[in-house]
Amino acid sequence: MSDKKKQITRRSFLKTAAAATGTATIAGCSGGLLGSSEAFALEFQEYFKEHYRLMTDEERTDTIERLERLSEIKKNTTIDIDSTKPQENVLYGYAFNVTRCEGFMECVDACVKENNLDRESKNQYIRIFEMENGEMLPDQGDGKFFHQVPRKGHFYMGVQCFQCENPPCVKACPTKATWKEKDGIVVVDYDWCIGCRYCMAACPYWGRRFNWNQPQIPKKEVNKKQHYLGNRSRVRGMMEKCTFCIQRSRKGKVTACVEACPTGARVFGNLLDPDSEIRFVLKNKKVYRLKEDLGTDPKFWYFND
Amino acid sequence: MYLLRWKVFLKERTVNRIGVVNLKNLKKTKYFFGIVIITFFAFTAFSSEGVVSKIKNANKKTDKSTGIHKSISLPKNVVKVKEDYQGGVFYTKSRKSEITRYKCSSCHKTQKKVMKNAANITHGDIQVVHGGKNKLECNTCHSKNDRNFLVTAKGTKVDFDHVYNLCGQCHFRQKKDWIGGAHGKRITYWAGERAVKNCTACHNPHSPLFKKRWPKTYSVPLK
Ligand code: SF4
Ligand code: SF4
Repeated sequence: MSDKKKQITRRSFLKTAAAATGTATIAGCSGGLLGSSEAFALEFQEYFKEHYRLMTDEERTDTIERLERLSEIKKNTTIDIDSTKPQENVLYGYAFNVTRCEGFMECVDACVKENNLDRESKNQYIRIFEMENGEMLPDQGDGKFFHQVPRKGHFYMGVQCFQCENPPCVKACPTKATWKEKDGIVVVDYDWCIGCRYCMAACPYWGRRFNWNQPQIPKKEVNKKQHYLGNRSRVRGMMEKCTFCIQRSRKGKVTACVEACPTGARVFGNLLDPDSEIRFVLKNKKVYRLKEDLGTDPKFWYFND
Repeated sequence: MYLLRWKVFLKERTVNRIGVVNLKNLKKTKYFFGIVIITFFAFTAFSSEGVVSKIKNANKKTDKSTGIHKSISLPKNVVKVKEDYQGGVFYTKSRKSEITRYKCSSCHKTQKKVMKNAANITHGDIQVVHGGKNKLECNTCHSKNDRNFLVTAKGTKVDFDHVYNLCGQCHFRQKKDWIGGAHGKRITYWAGERAVKNCTACHNPHSPLFKKRWPKTYSVPLK
């Protein structure tokens, strides 16, 4: 107990001390060196905010307002950050039809645009593997194909974060910057991620993506409809991943990849709704999951017609 | 800055430390310990809430008039599908509203008017690549008698909006999957009343196979 007390006093001391210095600095340079003093003040407050899960609703609104304002000041872009919570009785699940996918990669493109991914490094959450008929695991396939598709004697398999029900990535994180939400989506609080990449090493599915450099997105292409735990802007050194388009799915929409798929190979829906499409697939099709023996319990199934 | 980020971790550690049982008398606590371990295993065995058991236990029908479902309205130009899916009534996009030259009877009238090369001028772009060796003809699917309708092999008229009943004659497996949700896809929303794409939204009925083409983008090796 005394330990905890000490911590808090030390922390609050630091906070006050830093705040004092900060105010002094703002007063001192009043908008010259460090950009506008408003931006500086906002960034300063951002710096000391809580972990998302420990924030009260009010604190969440505050940080969102700050982030929106900062984007206006610094990037001259008006964005709309959302913090919709998980819905009751919803658990998202996904199914991928390996018979239907023809490797057109429309999903990959849509995902990049929807989630504001770095164009410079060609960061992508989804990977489509071209596999020879008879192969089973994506490790055997070709993830870098570029020729006319579909290729004869081949089939295609899409891989992304499977939103494991028992996610090893979450256990690996030393700062609790990543966790599983109630509706089953595994998210990252970008402001608490220290970029250690433990989670990346722990994920058996290559589900995580690391920003080695500052992400570059053409201003015109920035998706302004954002979610705090989803596609809001990341910086260099942060981990990110597929969130089943949390900014869309929590508003009742299908994910960007499902919407973009021209062949209907992707099925998305609520696993707890017995009438949903995904439940129909699980009930009526031969389904399998990747590396099921690891016990990660992914909510992503493959099936064929 | 990074040091500050450890605060959640530190908090949790503090909680863990409080939770540790202080074992002063190991002899007495041996049994206690054993029981704790057994209960722990029993507990984990019964409460292993894997996603499969969660799914199996979720059998309650979703009330479409509550929560997120309530706020989502049907897309424009949808029609009620003539068959129900497992969850009841569902909708599909109207086809007639998309055919620019519908109604067909505006040209195809009952009286015969001979115009040279007319078919070529109006429908010359249509190539039928459907049906394999026994290639389909126009009138396999389009009604000869009433051009505003399609027709089944048995001669039943089919509305363009309900084209699934025509395609489903041969592609009955796909139709079953389409009704259930394993074939085709929903329009924009997973929530709310169910509205799905019609067969012809994705397939060109005259040559339904997807054409070979270049992928939209490519991937670089993962670092
Ligand atoms: S697929 Fe990887 S990143 Fe996604 S939840 Fe599972 S372990 Fe975590
Ligand atoms: S990279 Fe970030 S999210 Fe991943 S384990 Fe490290 S701190 Fe956690």
